Amino acid sequence: MAKPKVASDWLAGCAGCHMSFLDMDERIIELTKLVDLRATPITDLKEPDEDGVTVGILEGGISNSYNEEVAIRMRERSKILIALGDCAVFGGVPAMRNFVGADEALKRAYIESESTDESGKIPDDPELSTTQHVRPVSDVVKVDVFLPGCAPSADAIFYVLSELAQGRMPETNQLTNDWH
Amino acid sequence: MINLTVNEKPIELPDGGTVLDAIHLAGFNVPTLCHHPKLTPYGSCRLCLVEIEGAKTLMPSCTVPAAEGMKVHTDTEKTKSARTFILSMLFSERNHFCMYCQATDGDCDLQTAAYDEGINHWTITPAYKPFYVDTSHPDFILDNNRCILCRRCVRTCSELVGNNTLGLEHRGSASILIADNGIPLGESSCISCGNCVEICPTGALYDRRSMYQGRETDLTRTETVCMDCSLGCTRVVKTRDNRLVRIDSKFDDLFLGGLLCEKGRYAPLKEARQRIEKPLIRRNGELQPIAWDSALACIATQLKAYGGDEISAYISGRLPMDTLQGFKSFFEDGFNIDRVGLFGHDESAAVSIELAKEFGAFESTLDALEDADAAVVLGADLTKDHQVAGFMIKRKSREHFSLVEVSRDENKLGQNFIKRLIRVGDDYDEIIDLLICYKANGACREAEQIIQAQGLTAHRANLLLDNLADWQKPVFIIGKDYAKLSNLESLRKTIRFAMEIGAKVIILKGDTNSFAASLLGIELNPEYKATKVAVYAMADGHACGHALEALKKSEFKIVHSAYFNEFTDAADLVLPCKTWAEIEGYYLSTDGRLQFQNKALAAAEGQHSIYDVLNFMAERTGFSLKQDWQTVLAQKVSAIIKA
Repeated sequence: MAKPKVASDWLAGCAGCHMSFLDMDERIIELTKLVDLRATPITDLKEPDEDGVTVGILEGGISNSYNEEVAIRMRERSKILIALGDCAVFGGVPAMRNFVGADEALKRAYIESESTDESGKIPDDPELSTTQHVRPVSDVVKVDVFLPGCAPSADAIFYVLSELAQGRMPETNQLTNDWH
Repeated sequence: MINLTVNEKPIELPDGGTVLDAIHLAGFNVPTLCHHPKLTPYGSCRLCLVEIEGAKTLMPSCTVPAAEGMKVHTDTEKTKSARTFILSMLFSERNHFCMYCQATDGDCDLQTAAYDEGINHWTITPAYKPFYVDTSHPDFILDNNRCILCRRCVRTCSELVGNNTLGLEHRGSASILIADNGIPLGESSCISCGNCVEICPTGALYDRRSMYQGRETDLTRTETVCMDCSLGCTRVVKTRDNRLVRIDSKFDDLFLGGLLCEKGRYAPLKEARQRIEKPLIRRNGELQPIAWDSALACIATQLKAYGGDEISAYISGRLPMDTLQGFKSFFEDGFNIDRVGLFGHDESAAVSIELAKEFGAFESTLDALEDADAAVVLGADLTKDHQVAGFMIKRKSREHFSLVEVSRDENKLGQNFIKRLIRVGDDYDEIIDLLICYKANGACREAEQIIQAQGLTAHRANLLLDNLADWQKPVFIIGKDYAKLSNLESLRKTIRFAMEIGAKVIILKGDTNSFAASLLGIELNPEYKATKVAVYAMADGHACGHALEALKKSEFKIVHSAYFNEFTDAADLVLPCKTWAEIEGYYLSTDGRLQFQNKALAAAEGQHSIYDVLNFMAERTGFSLKQDWQTVLAQKVSAIIKA
């Protein structure tokens, strides 16, 4: 049987969950014996295989139209979708801006910030994606496995992936359900 | 007794218990958020819903009284799905994002409850409505965004502390926690006791100094005795890497409800004085470092050259028993000085000892306050000193309670009592005469005259006095302003009257260990004299201006202090010492409980306790320190305080 394919991508997050993934150190070698690591933001291949992967992983919340596209594409191409980390599961740190609204947040960042002079302006290039109310991945597409944590521990990520690689659905337990 | 079953297990529960009590008694558990064993059940969070056979809906177990024949089920499909739904609703209502909250990983009951139910994502989108954050208080922050409206803090403020500062404004999901009538917490009637912060189940009220300094599990917990008065409350010192992070109370302590006041909780964290690191000697007018050996040799030489009247020695009441007795025996037995003195002007412990000669064991323990229905507070300001005893009285304003208070300064102890007689000043005699007169004759001309002469509000006074015959469990609390050796005659009359009406008497005794100091024979409120050699063992305490004047006039001045102060500025020889948290030892509370204080922090190298230094000195002078305080105290305490 061919090894299950795994792809990942990051949305509105800090990349910390991917760093935590790398924190499994030499266990990555063991993991690659079980799975075929395909597109990730930290490998050369950037987009998940068109003919689909077994497991898709998304880090970060949905904060704009681009995030939304990426999330929909990953959902379409993967059998099992994992929401990795507090931002993907709950909205997380980017969702803080929901309390003030995106307009206020952009104004604070691009115009009012202490390091900005009079030339500060909110980017308005039509090429840019449109800002949205920050949502968890599960508000946009169906999520099969929730792995919260800021960031989830390397142990938890390893456990979830190795269970999936061996054809089992991972359990929700103390290791996998630790939001911090 | 009530017979009922919990999850098919039959149990017998004492009358008056709730379904939650029954569940606990049967050895089961249901999660709770708003419930706290010290507070009146409230039932606001609904997390403890259980199924009771025959009931139409799920019932909150914390508020439903247990009844005969009830069949309770805690873990059914229905209760489980209700709990998950309730938690989802709670998470959706405000900002309950754990990743930027300081109360997580075991420090937040809400998060723990979610873990226990296996919730790994939210099914209801949060409302993202911002709420008011009050950062006006110097010690803690109130963040309404983290609040689950359990009202534990509100109930603590009124039911336990009796301060009634916290309350709620608006209704339903718009409700917010406010101080007084909606003014900033820092400008409100809040007395900064911090008990609300400790009881908050989430991160809605949190401590400024310890926030983001580690979870409970990262901190080392040491039980110590509070040093800021003689009540002897337990304070749980939380440290990390030998650094003081926070002081908490011991909520499960039976004694005084396990509360702390502002002084007990925050004073050590506000310590700003500069620590003395090594022994210093004055050379050419300047303090210069000197080795411990040379410093001790210098003291020995000075002391040996004199004796009796030529040496004066004073010690702080914040020191443990072994140090107090060691100090006394070193100077009195070793150098024939008449009597070592205790810093401070509080004579109440000596007054207690004096009165016990006539009345026997006349004093009660502090738990007399628990079920008291009347209090006569004379010469004590319980809103400043011995505050936790003040909480015990203030919270009685919710009950049928009479309060008589004579206090030197105006205070807010009695502001919420209806039946009260409050006198600002020192007319202790007159008020006692009034009580005696009223007790004997009821409302009479004589009593009216006293009321008028005292300028008391006749309506209030009569409201209280008419009730005098009904007092079942009155308590007399006597503080330092009245408990003076010069007031002994008046005090005798008061105690006699208290005994006649069956009242319990508590005399509040100054500094942490000043009761023990007095029992050991150390002089309270000493007269400070200028001598050839003056030894001031201040430790981490303070002393008054009279003490400073006498020190300045003395010839060779030795000051043993943890911090630089005006005394070390005047000293010829300064010895550093360990602080309260760095030593261990026994302390005697105002009501005769002997308590052990554990060491919470390790002192820096080269720091010695005063007791260590006394031992070094004893060795040098070929003298052994007396250490039989345990037998001395055991007899003396029981001669003053009824067990």
